[in-house]
Amino acid sequence: MKKIVFIVALIVSQVAFAQDYKFGKVSKEELTEKANPTNPEANATVLYRSQKIYFDFQQGKGFMQKNEIHERIKIYNKDGFDQATKFVRLYVGSSNDSKEKLIGLKAVTYNLNGKKIEEDKLRSNGIFEEATNKYWETTKFTMPIVKEGSVIEYRYTIVSPFTGIDDIPFQQSIPIKKLDFELKTPEYYLYQTLLNPRASYIPKFTNTKATNSFTISSKERNISNRVVTASTTNKSTIDYVDNVVSASLDNIPALKGEEYVDNLGNYQSKLILELQSIQYPGEPIKNLATSWDKVTKTIYDNSDFGGELNKTGYFKKDIDALIASVSSPEEKTALIFDFVKAKVKWNDLHGYTTDLGVAKAYREGVGNIADINLMLVSMLRYAGIEANPILVSTKSNGIPLLPTRSGFNYVICAAELNGGVVYLDASEHYTTANILPSKTLNWLGRLIRENGTSEWVELIPKVSSREMVSISIKLNEDLSATGKVRNHLTNYQAARFRNKYHNFNKEEMMASLEKNRGALEVLEYDNKNVKDLSKPILQTYDFHLESALEEIGDKVYFSPMLFFASKENPFKEDTRNYPIDFVYPFSDKYIINMQLPEGYVVDTLPESSKIQFNGTEGEYTFLSNQKGNILQFTVSLDLNKSLVLASDYEQFKQFYQLKVEKELEKVVLKKG
Amino acid sequence: MLVFSSTAQEFSLQSLIIDSSLRENANAIVRQNDLSIEVLKYDKILVKQRRVVTILNSSGNSKVNAYLHYDENVNIKKLEAIVYNAYGKEIKKIRKNKFSDANAVDGFSLYSDSRIKYLDYTPTNYPYTIEYIEEYETSFTVNLPSWYPLDGYYTSVENSTYTIINDSNVEISLKTENLENYNIDVLSEYSFQAKNLKAIKPEQYSPSFAKIVPSVKATLKEFSMKGVKGVNSNWQDFGKWMNDKLIAGTQELPQAVKDEIKALTANAETDIEKAKIVYNYMQDKTRYISIQVGIGGWKPMLASDVDRLGYGDCKGLTNYTMALLQEVGVPSYYTVVYGDSNLRNIDDSFSSLQGNHVILTVPNKSDYIFLECTSQTVPFGYTANFTDDRDVLLIKPEGGEIVRTKSYKTEENLLDTKATIKLDAEGSLEAQVVMNSYGTQYGSHEGVQNETEKNQQLYYKDYWNYINNLEINSLDFTNNKDSIVFIEEVELKAARYAVKTGDRLLLQPNMFNRIETAPKRYKDRNLPFEVERGFTDIDEYIIEIPETLEVEATMNPVSIKNKFGEYIASVSIENNKLLYHRKFVLNKGAYTKDEYKEFRSFWLSVVKQDKSKIVLKTKP
Repeated sequence: MKKIVFIVALIVSQVAFAQDYKFGKVSKEELTEKANPTNPEANATVLYRSQKIYFDFQQGKGFMQKNEIHERIKIYNKDGFDQATKFVRLYVGSSNDSKEKLIGLKAVTYNLNGKKIEEDKLRSNGIFEEATNKYWETTKFTMPIVKEGSVIEYRYTIVSPFTGIDDIPFQQSIPIKKLDFELKTPEYYLYQTLLNPRASYIPKFTNTKATNSFTISSKERNISNRVVTASTTNKSTIDYVDNVVSASLDNIPALKGEEYVDNLGNYQSKLILELQSIQYPGEPIKNLATSWDKVTKTIYDNSDFGGELNKTGYFKKDIDALIASVSSPEEKTALIFDFVKAKVKWNDLHGYTTDLGVAKAYREGVGNIADINLMLVSMLRYAGIEANPILVSTKSNGIPLLPTRSGFNYVICAAELNGGVVYLDASEHYTTANILPSKTLNWLGRLIRENGTSEWVELIPKVSSREMVSISIKLNEDLSATGKVRNHLTNYQAARFRNKYHNFNKEEMMASLEKNRGALEVLEYDNKNVKDLSKPILQTYDFHLESALEEIGDKVYFSPMLFFASKENPFKEDTRNYPIDFVYPFSDKYIINMQLPEGYVVDTLPESSKIQFNGTEGEYTFLSNQKGNILQFTVSLDLNKSLVLASDYEQFKQFYQLKVEKELEKVVLKKG
Repeated sequence: MLVFSSTAQEFSLQSLIIDSSLRENANAIVRQNDLSIEVLKYDKILVKQRRVVTILNSSGNSKVNAYLHYDENVNIKKLEAIVYNAYGKEIKKIRKNKFSDANAVDGFSLYSDSRIKYLDYTPTNYPYTIEYIEEYETSFTVNLPSWYPLDGYYTSVENSTYTIINDSNVEISLKTENLENYNIDVLSEYSFQAKNLKAIKPEQYSPSFAKIVPSVKATLKEFSMKGVKGVNSNWQDFGKWMNDKLIAGTQELPQAVKDEIKALTANAETDIEKAKIVYNYMQDKTRYISIQVGIGGWKPMLASDVDRLGYGDCKGLTNYTMALLQEVGVPSYYTVVYGDSNLRNIDDSFSSLQGNHVILTVPNKSDYIFLECTSQTVPFGYTANFTDDRDVLLIKPEGGEIVRTKSYKTEENLLDTKATIKLDAEGSLEAQVVMNSYGTQYGSHEGVQNETEKNQQLYYKDYWNYINNLEINSLDFTNNKDSIVFIEEVELKAARYAVKTGDRLLLQPNMFNRIETAPKRYKDRNLPFEVERGFTDIDEYIIEIPETLEVEATMNPVSIKNKFGEYIASVSIENNKLLYHRKFVLNKGAYTKDEYKEFRSFWLSVVKQDKSKIVLKTKP
């Protein structure tokens, strides 16, 4: 029997013993351990992880990056078995010089049999290589003889010809008991480093220097571009200094997910590196990305970005004809935006540089994000409108922390019109002016002007997206209700409706309204403006609801919002570590007019009330009013900020709770 | 152009003038689909397909179906696609080398040695039409490609043909289903044509799609599977072939394991006792990993490999368990099944390669016990919700045999919920709830025990999502794997559970087991429906109310009984205690579409009755 009582967890004091973390030196203590002493719920724990990144000089190739991983994992129970299968992704690119390789894979499972430690090696039948696509290969391996209590251990090295270093994770989905980390980079490469400031676990590092050397056989020393050309067998040794960053960490907590989080990776403890400059001896310093300005400039100078913006020949004739009869910038913008949407469809590839190139994308009618939106920018510019690209990092790409080119993965268009700046993304069908795909509403974007200067712009929308519902209801003596509903949706709420329902016919719309609403019957459904993006969505329908009123004893009870009432608080966790992401600010309002059934009068009416969250960040009002045999309710919820911070969570949960409880209150009628 | 054969000219590639009855409920229309199979030899067939589909909107894109699975047995002779716009004008041609190529990993497999070539096309406008042509030779001839003219919901068919040309002296077996309910012409013994089939919409509780649509399946009496020759004239000889070529010789175990398992079972008296010990041994020693290799994914890993590596897929683990049982003298049979929450039979009247899963069958007197070998935790003999109540194929050394797996009966699929509740004058409650679940309901309840503490709390907050302010004070689980009962003991509280209305409290006595939604409404239902598994819920709650309150009004007792099931609910009052009793039974059964309205209204009355309230008032 398993007894769990939710009281304050006991602090377990640990008996320390010296553990050997050399490969193969697994101890009996590790094998007999039944649970993680500081985190007894963990199904598995990384007992030890070591990661060493360094650069080795290889004649003819230059500096090769080596990334050595060694992990020892304890599996406590069957739910931890997932840890026994690992995936290693390798970039294999298109040419032989740009391939990553996995070498030296060694892996062993340890089990205790009586007093004896049994070892089972991973063999080739447990290793699978899969060509994932053109650019990536995945090596998968699954460990032999994994049982409850097993310890598995593996090590491998990834050899890469690239100078770019992947983010270095210090946190995993399971706890880590001990982690050793060492990063050695030759003095020629200068990296900027940053620890994710959003992470709650912050590791400490030591910075030192170490001497190193490599030997080359050559007559002439020439190591520019990381490649040495040899002509004679003269050997010479070159000394240089390595910059060393190291850490030895204990008891790292697991990274745990929560609902309504934008991207869990934004909160993972990790070290981010970006190559800032390269300077070989006797050569001038080569600056790479060092500030957002420079990153932006580098991107702008890329021929697949800036170069593509300058091309106009492929569309000239079509755009001339398209805008011949209009003169205002607004009209021109609208025509060109719709033209691009209709002309070129998105091929599901992200990117701020073009895939096919704008001209080819235009011709074939298909392109990636950059093909489409850079084309839009250059067409608008051609039409005399001040238009600029904005570099964006989508939600799944995370929030860029360091000035890096990979911090962006998307591009949209900004057009300056008389009424202000309008953001446009022509890659989806239901985007409009300032209504972008929700994946792009991430923090800030970088706007680049024609002269190469750039600045940050806010992407999260400030204007509320509204839903307004007017309902007139007649309550009937047979305890049923009949009514008419008019429903307006604007901005992002309208876009969401369009994306979800554009292929639904009336019958399917009626069914979706009835879904999970018991006896509700929806009749006479209609909607307008699903295709006309310039107008709000308007939905109208009639309904009939059996047993809307409940008769108990000599009285009748019902909820003033009937099936529109929210029944449950979706925020069920007691506390949160990460913010809640609502994507955009919104405002929902219900105006309800109710006609009482013949022969009844009001006994009790829920009282009007108003609830606020964080001043005016959130506001809920419930107004009730009676005029003869008509009841009126006005209910509204406004959330003026799209992100609710973890520190405000408890207050927010309570705010929502009060709203739910208010909507559960009943009107009581008696025979009059 | 060569591709426009005579049939091609019978219709126009224009998509704007398609008959409106074919557009009804359709996201895609199969304009023409010609599938022909030429049997050259027992181990060589030539398959040709030309498929023209008009896609009406973005939901229809998946119906392009321009893909081909292949491995070293398949020789692709032709693969291409042509895209036409709404006016029938060719806008793009995609040749074989422009098809994308990937490992056919199915999402849960770690590895598969088969590959797929597929068309990756971004539509530029709707509607559009794709003409897809494939031609390949294969030596994998156990099953010939089958014909499902309707290949999914929301898809209509203008014209579809299926032809088998037999150039060999190998006999062909056919199985046709549901042809008579649709507009299908039998042109000759091996040639069929479907014309103007309307799109089908999915409806709740309807039998699975494959059961209701027309199909033709075919096999060869002599076939080849990865170079292994076989005979298939009935389940008897096909089963024997599977036994001899796929299973026999894979079951050798190391001596140490033989000794160990013999020692472990030495004191067991019956075969079943021995089987239980072996099953536990296997569960403790192995884990499930899906790897689709070896004779088209049909040959199990060697039992000795499973023993050495400690993992295997369903075939490997089943075969390993069978080898262990054999060692201790307990007979058992490798068993092929369709594993699915929906009931799906191996077709006993048509021997062919069927099924997607393997389990182990142990004879028990005149009956059988079925063992799921891919789970490390499932109780011995428990098959509910995945392999229960269906025809399966036992592979015996002497040949195949179809038997039926255990059916879980309405009365044994029981959820028994008992609770004692204390209510205060504010409507807040404290309660102890005990839930005992059996049969199919055991399977849907026991998973919570393996969750983390935080997720367990969230699970109950979600299970009782209508109880606001729910707080869990303690949780206690007992998983009795012998009698297969899962017991959850939950202590909880909820502030302001009963809703204050003026000076009254509205108390909904059904606190812990509410039905809140009913099956969907259909103006005109088209398909029959079935409840595949029945169940029984019994609830008994004792609600103590404060001395200061009294009952002003209470719900009337209800009792409904019909062919669909039974519902009883009542409240009795004893001093300051309210006794709530509820029983809800849903029967297993298959019904016609005309009975659906009545079925839904039964559910609606359950929803309504579960909402019933009691009015409490302060004593004067």
